[in-house]
Amino acid sequence: MHKLLSNKMTIFALVAPGMFLFLFMVCFPIAMSAYYGMTDWRGIGAYQFVGLDNYVQILTQDKVFWRSLLNALLLLAATLLIQHPIALLFSIFVTHSGRFEKLFRTVFFIPAVISIVVTSKMWVSVFHPNYGMLNKVLSAVGLESLKQDWLGDPKLAIWCVIFVIMWQGFGYALLLYYAGLQGIPKDLFEAAELDGAGRVKLYTKVVIPLLTPMVRVAVVIAVTACLKQMETIFLMTNGGPVNTTQFIGNYLYKTAFTSSLYGYGNAISVIFVIVCLIITVAMNRAFKKDVGEF
Amino acid sequence: MLRKITLQSTLWIFALLQLFPLIWLINYSFLNSGEFFGSAILKWPKKLAWDNYMNAFTYGSVPKFLLNSLFITTSAILAAAVLSLMLGYAFTRMEWKLRGLFMAFIMLGMIVPIHATLLPNFTLFNWLNLLDNPLTLILPYIAFSLPISVLIMSGFLGTIPRSIEESAVIDGCTIYGVIFRIMMPMTKPALATVCIMNFISWWNEFIMANTFLMSEKFKTLPFSIMKFAGQYSSNYGAQFAVMTMIALPTIIIYLLFTEQMSRGITAGAVKG
Repeated sequence: MHKLLSNKMTIFALVAPGMFLFLFMVCFPIAMSAYYGMTDWRGIGAYQFVGLDNYVQILTQDKVFWRSLLNALLLLAATLLIQHPIALLFSIFVTHSGRFEKLFRTVFFIPAVISIVVTSKMWVSVFHPNYGMLNKVLSAVGLESLKQDWLGDPKLAIWCVIFVIMWQGFGYALLLYYAGLQGIPKDLFEAAELDGAGRVKLYTKVVIPLLTPMVRVAVVIAVTACLKQMETIFLMTNGGPVNTTQFIGNYLYKTAFTSSLYGYGNAISVIFVIVCLIITVAMNRAFKKDVGEF
Repeated sequence: MLRKITLQSTLWIFALLQLFPLIWLINYSFLNSGEFFGSAILKWPKKLAWDNYMNAFTYGSVPKFLLNSLFITTSAILAAAVLSLMLGYAFTRMEWKLRGLFMAFIMLGMIVPIHATLLPNFTLFNWLNLLDNPLTLILPYIAFSLPISVLIMSGFLGTIPRSIEESAVIDGCTIYGVIFRIMMPMTKPALATVCIMNFISWWNEFIMANTFLMSEKFKTLPFSIMKFAGQYSSNYGAQFAVMTMIALPTIIIYLLFTEQMSRGITAGAVKG
């Protein structure tokens, strides 16, 4: 058996196809980006090698790049401070909803499985100044004065977009916390009940502390998801009005394909990958310490 | 008792709010475009406008794009399932020094944003004369499926006792026989999870399809909506109908396989 399992040819045959595809489609492109990021190529024709100029310019002068990072941070703050607490609360509610438990769990997740093209276009219609649902709801409850062009306003658009992203991701966060709750041994609940702890106390003192590992996982996922946000932006606002809803993914796309600054766009790509790597690795390091056991 | 009712009604209200935009979408998909501009939020149409769906089918090229989506997604998820079984087996069962390193390397792929590969892959496909070919989607779809799929497969393979493989080998089975004739059926639950998760993400994938495909020939289902951006942009009814039609297949698949999906997502999360 050992001889069979350490056969070099077999290992190669098993690993090579997948590994090759992975290198070819994920790693090699990043290396290409690193190269083109050091040029001033505009997509066609000749180009010059400009060294690290693009990278320096992005990090020191590019306001849109920093605005994109700031937007990711805003989205992250909204996700962690609004979406996650509600998701945690509702995951607890769902476990206590008796025979509808499965139904609720399913319903909350439905938006997460629908194509982003559909949800984005749908929300653009909801925010539509003329026939959109939001303005109609406002008239119906007598708040005519609040009616407006939601996605056209540089101050409001980012919050509309953040709201849509939170709406779509809500079921995902809920599912994570729900799974975390399922992992807590049932006898703990019984023991706490025997000790006379009320529901609220049971959750704040026993259950939520035990959920900490899952909260960490959910936070790591939220951070990367916020950084990688793109399609919703691309389809709802394409970064506008005046780049107030810009995110890195959309910005590099726009730079390369609309402004034809292909080299510069690639430099943004590389910085994007590095930012994602650094943040994920740093968070995993920080969270690896003292993982609770039960 | 009172507490129970409050809890239940809070959940119902919130669930309804969560789904309300979708209800609105379906409702308006049955309205004539002229009826869009009333003050009512939900509205019973004078006559159900089924021709919205007919128009969506024809102007939105739904049947053609649906077949393209089916072909591209199925090829990608089947290939990803087989490759992740092979890789998972190599990482959990085969005995070689670098397996930990190789596995960690593939796991790094989970961190890489797909958007960062859009520009270089565009150039790469251009060199290879592959632009506007379904392979430009199938290949990256498989590659980006691998990290999470390998993670799930390895986790599942770890729970299968080795004695089965040992007796199969004693009975004269080759290692490939072990993997494809014994492990493949035994890992069915994990393979199903992997396939369903990948199905949802690639069926809905938009930005790569938008970048690497130019002609109508291979475009995927989400583009049915984009076709209403120009010429037919005032046909709101048909637009809403096409959105409903695109949303339905994934919702149905999800409702049929809720458990596998939930398992896949949480498995990926806990171990990742």
